[in-house]
Parts: sequence; structure tokens; C-alpha cells
Amino acid sequence: MSDDHRFKVEFCGLQLSSPLVLLSGCVGFGEEYTRIQGFSNRDVGAICLKGTTLEPRLGNAPHRLAETTDGMLNAIGLQNPGVEAVVQEILPSLDFSQTRFIANVSGSTVEEYREVTRRFDDSPIDAIEINISCPNVKEGGVAFGNDPEMSARVVEACRAVTQKPLITKLSPNQTDIRHNAKRCIEAGSDAFAVINTVMGMAIDVETRQPVLHNNQGGLSGPAIKPIALLKVHEVYQVCKPHKIPIIGQGGIVHTNDAIEFLIAGATAVGIGTGLFYDPLCCQKITRGMAEYLDNTGLSHVNAVTGSLEMHTDATEYT
Amino acid sequence: MESEQNPIFEECARVTHHDALAAQQFVLRLSAPECARHAKAGNFLHLQCDPQRALRRPFSIMRCDPAAGWVEVLYKIVGQGSAELAARKSGDMLQCLGPVGNTFRVHENTTHPLLLGGGVGIPPMIFLAETLRGNPGLHPLAILGSEIPFPFPTRPSKILAPDVPKEVIAAMPLLDDWGIASRLTSLQGYPGCFHGYVHELAERWFLNLDHAAQKGVQVFACGPNRMLEAVSEFCRRHALPCQVCLEEYMACAVGGCAGCVVPYRENNRMVAMKRVCVDGPVFNAASIF
Ligand SMILES: Cc1cc2nc3c(=O)[nH]c(=O)nc-3n(C[C@H](O)[C@H](O)[C@H](O)COP(=O)(O)OP(=O)(O)OC[C@H]3O[C@@H](n4cnc5c(N)ncnc54)[C@H](O)[C@@H]3O)c2cc1C
Ligand SMILES: Cc1cc2nc3c(=O)[nH]c(=O)nc-3n(C[C@H](O)[C@H](O)[C@H](O)COP(=O)(O)O)c2cc1C
Ligand code: FES
Repeated sequence: MSDDHRFKVEFCGLQLSSPLVLLSGCVGFGEEYTRIQGFSNRDVGAICLKGTTLEPRLGNAPHRLAETTDGMLNAIGLQNPGVEAVVQEILPSLDFSQTRFIANVSGSTVEEYREVTRRFDDSPIDAIEINISCPNVKEGGVAFGNDPEMSARVVEACRAVTQKPLITKLSPNQTDIRHNAKRCIEAGSDAFAVINTVMGMAIDVETRQPVLHNNQGGLSGPAIKPIALLKVHEVYQVCKPHKIPIIGQGGIVHTNDAIEFLIAGATAVGIGTGLFYDPLCCQKITRGMAEYLDNTGLSHVNAVTGSLEMHTDATEYT
Repeated sequence: MESEQNPIFEECARVTHHDALAAQQFVLRLSAPECARHAKAGNFLHLQCDPQRALRRPFSIMRCDPAAGWVEVLYKIVGQGSAELAARKSGDMLQCLGPVGNTFRVHENTTHPLLLGGGVGIPPMIFLAETLRGNPGLHPLAILGSEIPFPFPTRPSKILAPDVPKEVIAAMPLLDDWGIASRLTSLQGYPGCFHGYVHELAERWFLNLDHAAQKGVQVFACGPNRMLEAVSEFCRRHALPCQVCLEEYMACAVGGCAGCVVPYRENNRMVAMKRVCVDGPVFNAASIF
């Protein structure tokens, strides 16, 4: 565990040893990466487990991945063993002394989100992240997270069945993320993860088919970082008065990426695709952040959070 | 087949040899002591072709020397990643994650391991052949096919393979040197090669074996999916145990992203999506094709 006190952050009631968080869907159920020598769950403040649904799901047909310029598309399709197996078989095998574990709740209906959350509430999991980017099967398959009212309904349903910290993972695929954040705070969200992947497509020119069997998928990696930074900045404006923290994410690979998210308003920062570039990137980012604090004379990462100095004279000449 | 739980190493590997062969094929030797020490036949390396790329590229380990600390892969340029890899020179460093994946398992009652490799599916068969070297109870045969020039000079075999048609004499010299019989196939008319596909020569050989030998055959195959399907079909017809080494697009290569899956069947019913990186790359053919 990072014992540098400058990295210890409080995140909606959770004490994190580091602001670094491993992101859902990239690190399985928390133990897969620990086979790599030199990798330790102690190096991060929290780990978001793979998206979990009420029943087991097999997920999408392959290909599920496509590399793109500065990033990748994925269409995994929520392959998971179902919440009962996660609680009964996987959680008992996790070492909760090393880091905090966050469940990632997914569903096709509001009721499914509620039931999965209820099951996790009665488990040792430290917090619950709601992945509202899943399609709402009862209302035309549009992702819950694309619409502020649908998002709020999911949050409200989950809030009703748990006292654990509730983190809403916001989608960039919508018109006004600020309005969505507002509605989710009213519905009881304790924190936000910003952003989930941006929907996209890759095409094979020879077959003239999409590379992904699912036709479309979520874009992640450095390609989405500028979008993610702006969204974190926007959501931070909404969250600041309520002291609601954000896990900033989308394309963090190097130290400066992480620091940019902190400056934009994130209290913690998430790493997903960055692990595919370099499975040991967390240690490097941590070292880099320590150097940054040394060089800037800041005493704690908290001092970096939201320290963005906007241009106040940003006008367009006519 | 079992999933693998062995340690995986992230090494900053130095390119020690990089040989360009015919038809944009290359043999790359890396100094990567931990990968070399822990590698088993069937394992692969996840190589960073360029630090700016989100995804690394998986390549089977063809040979390794645990004492000298090197691993070797054979690859063909098919796209940008492999082209970037081809530009690496001796002395260059590159990040290498490995060894990843499970291994081939030779059954106890196997007497005649049949190793089938197609194109850039040849490398894991060479690794497997090396592990079978000098085993007095085994009579392995490797049948390797290619529609582009073979990534090694071919020559008439010094090892008899009585159940293979007489005119098929071309072999891989390295396997010859190891005392392992090999024969080559191609539709390109290369001298001494069988004119046809790998599985066709395999079936001819199998039908010529006596009954006792037939009972001891176990098949191992790696190559394009079309080849693996044909091999699986041949094995099904003769009720032969068969392990295939698969390919799929990969991101993490440690089982974390579920990106590299293949539909997995039991009793003709799809029961699971298995990750090629850690549940494979070696699977029982009957569960896949
Ligand atoms: C376990 C395993 C072992 C392999 N061993 C070898 C080997 O020994 N020699 C060899 O030449 N090739 C091998 N391959 C295939 C090799 O990984 C691909 O040829 C390579 O990834 C192509 O990358 P590219 O950027 O040149 O091609 P592009 O087509 O530009 O690649 C685009 C994306 O698709 C992926 N991709 C494309 N084709 C394949 C494929 N066949 N398998 C997996 N991913 C693919 C790439 O990794 C990349 O993410 C192996 C694949 C696997 C999964
Ligand atoms: C392969 C893959 C699978 C993912 N699966 C999930 C998931 O199950 N639930 C979820 O909320 N987000 C999922 N995500 C999104 C990530 O958690 C993360 O929000 C996003 O990738 C942006 O961060 P990054 O650029 O650091 O990867 C997945 C991303 C990837 C690349
Ligand atoms: S590549 Fe991530 S699970 Fe296989």
C-alpha cells in the first residue's frame, strides 16, 4: 500500500491509500493482474470489479476488440457470472486488506439494477458503482445514462436499497452531462465516475463489415482524454458545492494525464486502457505524482484537485 | 484443458537477433531471462510493437534457452503492428509480457504425437517438438504447411517416415537435427513437399499406420482457423484426441478484459465464452470446432 500520506484521499467515506483506481472491465474480478510479477493491488486506492448483472451472461460474440488511433473499441457485452456467484465465490477470495473493492452494477431494467445493488449491499464490498451506460430494454434500448431522467431513476432505485457509498458512472454520450449529474445528486448519488466510453465504430475495408461483431463499441484510451477532461470539469462545477467527489477517467496512461484530471476537479483517477499499454503503469504514475508534488511544493494531492485556472478573458474577437 | 495461473513477467527485452526471411517473415530473438526460464510449449509473448499503441501483439514462443535467457518468435507482417516490430534492430529494447497462456498436454498413452502447423502457426509446433526430443517412447511426426516460402531452408529428410508417401521428402532441418521426423506440404509446388493441405497428408499417414500405432496418435495443431477446422474434422472422423492453439484479438493478455474470447462447447452446446489468453490458447478441438 502506498504509505506516502500525500496520496491518502477520502472518497465519499472511503479511505483510499492512493487516488489511483483500476477501472471496471479492464481488471476482471480483481486478481487477474496480480499474476504479473511486480504488480500489486496495494499500489492502487481502489479496484472496480467487472460489470455485474443479476443473472450470468455470456456476453457478445467475437471480435470484441478493435485497436484505433490512440485507443481501442470494446464490445464485451457484460460477460459475468451473475451477482450471486460474485458475492458467494469471488468476494471471499479477494484480499480486502490490500485495497478497496468497488462493485460495478449493470442491468437491463431499473429493477435489475436495484436487485443487483441489494445483493451487493449484503456483502463485504466497499462501495457500489452504477454503470448506467447499459441499454434500457424496456424503453427502446437507449442507454439509461444518455437521459438524465432515466439515469436518476436508476440511481434512486439503487439508493433505496443500500447505505454503501454509491458512485454513478456518467456517460459522455449525451447532450448536457451537468444536468444529468444534478439529477443523479438529487436521486442520492454520493460520487461520480466521469467518463465511461464514447460510442464508436471501426470498419474493415476488405470485408466492408464493422470489426466488432456487435457493430459498435465503446472507445477508450488517450483518444477520449480531451472529451473526458472537459466532462470532469463540467461535472465538477455541479459537484463542488455538494462536496461530491469524482473519479476522473478516460485515457490516463502517464503521470501528466492523471494530474490533468486532478486539476480538472477529480479527487481520484481511474486507469483502464492504460494497463494495456503498460501493465505496471500505476507505479510509474505514482512516482511521477510524487515528483510533481515535490516540484510544485504542494503538500497533498487534494491541493491539486480542482486547481484549474480558467482563462477569464476567453472571448472571441469579432 | 486447464487455465494457467503461473507468474507472468513484464520484461524490458533487448533484441539480440532479428532475421528477415522470405515473404515478409521474421525470426526475432529477445533477451528476456524470466520469459525464457518459465516458457512452455503453447505459451506466447505479448509484445509492445510501439509505445504509442494501445494494444500489444501476441506471438507464440517458438524456442527458448532458459540458460542463455533468450526467447524466439517467428512472425509475418500482416498489418501496422507487425510492420513496426519488423523495424526493430539488434540492440533495440522492447516491452515484453510473458510467458502467457496454457500449454499442450501430451497424454500418457500417446505414442505417436502428430504435430500440425500451418503458416505462422508453425512456431508453437517447433516448441512442442523440442519438448518431445529424445523421448524413447514417442514417435512424433511434424507436418508443416505453407503457401508462402517456408521460413527455413527445406531439405530432404534424413529420418524415415514409412507411413508418409515416398515422394514426400522435404523436411525442416532443425527438426531433423533433433531426430524428429517432419514433412512439408504446400499447393505451391515446392520440391519434395506434399501437394495438398496439412490435414490431407495427416490422414494419409494415419491410414497407413497399423492399428496399434493408430491407437497411440494424439494430434496438436496451430494455424489458420480454416486449417484447424479441417484438422478437427479429420480427428472427429477417427476419434483422435486433438488440441488446437487459437488466435483472437487481445488487450490485456492476463484474463482481465474478456476481450479475447472464443465460444466454448460441451456436448455440442455452447456453454461458455473462454478467454484465449489464459483459458487457452490451447483448447481441446472438440470444444471449439
Ligand atoms: C496466442 C497467439 C499467438 C500468435 N502467434 C503468432 C506467431 O507465432 N506468428 C505470427 O506471425 N502471428 C501470430 N499471431 C497472430 C498475431 O498476433 C497477429 O498477426 C498480429 O497481432 C497482427 O498485428 P498487426 O498490427 O500487424 O495487424 P493488424 O491486422 O493491423 O492488427 C489490428 C488488430 O487486430 C489484431 N489481430 C489481427 N490479426 C490477428 C490475429 N491473427 N490474432 C490475434 N490478433 C490479431 C492485432 O493484434 C491488432 O490488435 C498469434 C496470435 C495469438 C492470439
Ligand atoms: C475492455 C473494457 C471493458 C469495460 N467494461 C466496463 C464495464 O463492465 N463496466 C463499466 O462501467 N465500464 C467498463 N469499461 C469502461 C472503463 O471502465 C473506463 O470507464 C473507460 O474505458 C475509460 O477509461 P480508460 O480510457 O482509462 O480505459 C470497459 C472498458 C474497457 C476498455
Ligand atoms: S486479452 Fe484480456 S482477457 Fe484475454
